[in-house]
Amino acid sequence: MLRAISKKICLLGDFAVGKTSLMRRFVYDLFSDKYISTIGVKVSRKTVAVPDAGGVVELTMMLWDLGGGDEFERVRPSYLRGAAGAVLVCDLTRPETLARLRDYAGELRAISPAASLVLAANKSDLADGRQLTPAQVESAAADLAAPYYLTSARTGEGVEGLFRHLARLLVA
Amino acid sequence: MIPRGHDVDSTVAEHILGDLGVAYAITDAGFNVVQESGSVDILWERPESCLGRCLIDCVPELVGCEDLLADVLAGDLPRFELAWANRETADGQTLYLTIVLLPYRHPSGRDSGLVYVVQDVSDMGLVDRQLAQSRNELRLLQEQLTRQNLELAAANAELRRLDKMKSAFVSVAAHELRTPLAPIRGYLEVLLDEDVGHLNAEQREYLEILRRSVQRLLVLTHNLLDATRIETGRVELVLRPADLPALIESVVAEHSAQVEARAQRLEVQLSPGLPPALCDEARAVQIVGNLLSNAVKYTPPGGRIDVTLAPAGEAGFLEVSVADV
Repeated sequence: MLRAISKKICLLGDFAVGKTSLMRRFVYDLFSDKYISTIGVKVSRKTVAVPDAGGVVELTMMLWDLGGGDEFERVRPSYLRGAAGAVLVCDLTRPETLARLRDYAGELRAISPAASLVLAANKSDLADGRQLTPAQVESAAADLAAPYYLTSARTGEGVEGLFRHLARLLVA
Repeated sequence: MIPRGHDVDSTVAEHILGDLGVAYAITDAGFNVVQESGSVDILWERPESCLGRCLIDCVPELVGCEDLLADVLAGDLPRFELAWANRETADGQTLYLTIVLLPYRHPSGRDSGLVYVVQDVSDMGLVDRQLAQSRNELRLLQEQLTRQNLELAAANAELRRLDKMKSAFVSVAAHELRTPLAPIRGYLEVLLDEDVGHLNAEQREYLEILRRSVQRLLVLTHNLLDATRIETGRVELVLRPADLPALIESVVAEHSAQVEARAQRLEVQLSPGLPPALCDEARAVQIVGNLLSNAVKYTPPGGRIDVTLAPAGEAGFLEVSVADV
């Protein structure tokens, strides 16, 4: 039996960690090296089929790519309302972006306590500049009770797996 | 002919809203669009009418916000606003929109629904994005700079540690080298003084060579120890009033044989009537001696070397200079 549902998913994390790039890689299979700041929110959608006990669920993921940083702190709660899940994104070359994920997760859970989380440790392709070890990412993910993926929006590494994992959590 | 009454008002209102980049739609209680006004390009995700369709199906930003819409409809929430919603147009441009949802009450009081208002704030959005872009790029540079400074500080600390180790090693090595030199020199003196037997000319010549070599080694180890003392800040200066002109003349006299051997010309200019200078005499001799020795060594044969002593630019100081011309 085919069941069709839509879920709102927010991409959260500091500025320039690669939220927009991850979203573009997943939805359009595109990547650009040029950094363009996001202000506000850009909603994109992608429908994926997720196996379920009773058959297959056609899940439309409404992906909310939110502007990162403190500037949107005031308006972020209005963006987070109704979120069923979130991708918490940090940059493997900037350790402070991993530490900040606890704040983003706290903000989301204050508004949507049941939201499912996954953690994306992005820019895994930048091996030379990497400042975070997989163990540090694993520890932070465990603190947030979220599965984690090392991702690269540039190469596509881990991106599909990350979003599919979240899709399974949302359907379960 | 201009229509009268309500028609005039609505035409003007439409004109004003259009000029402000505002469009709106009204829904019934089931969120179905019953009226739309203004540009469909900013109202809906796709540039086509949504009359009769569910508002949530036409506005992606409202997916997941069903409970919120119900709260606005019931009057539990006076309004819901979403700032800076990005929409991409068919030609790839980004529109920045402010979305507002308000409760709608028909004047008759019979029907209720929602008013969905959209304002195109792209002009402001583009400026804001440019500002955010510059701010974020600056922050990235600051973060990079901070990281590099930390790395540099760590590298500096490591270099200091290695330098300290090197100084300690050189100091120990110099001491160890100097220790056996003292008995060697002592026995050489005994031999040269013929205390243990007569020396022929050849033997004396060889022993003199040995003595000069031992002397050079002593000077070398002494210099090494001095260098480590300077590096570790253990040099203690004994400051006393000294007659610098006499000191310089004695150093010059010590080097005169070398200067002559290289056919160099040594010009010494000592300002008359200088007062005694407060300095460590032994170190002063060493410094002037080293400078002069270098000058002799690196000035070509036949060249000129100037040694001067004069009041320095700063009052209360004297300046010694050794220049090879």
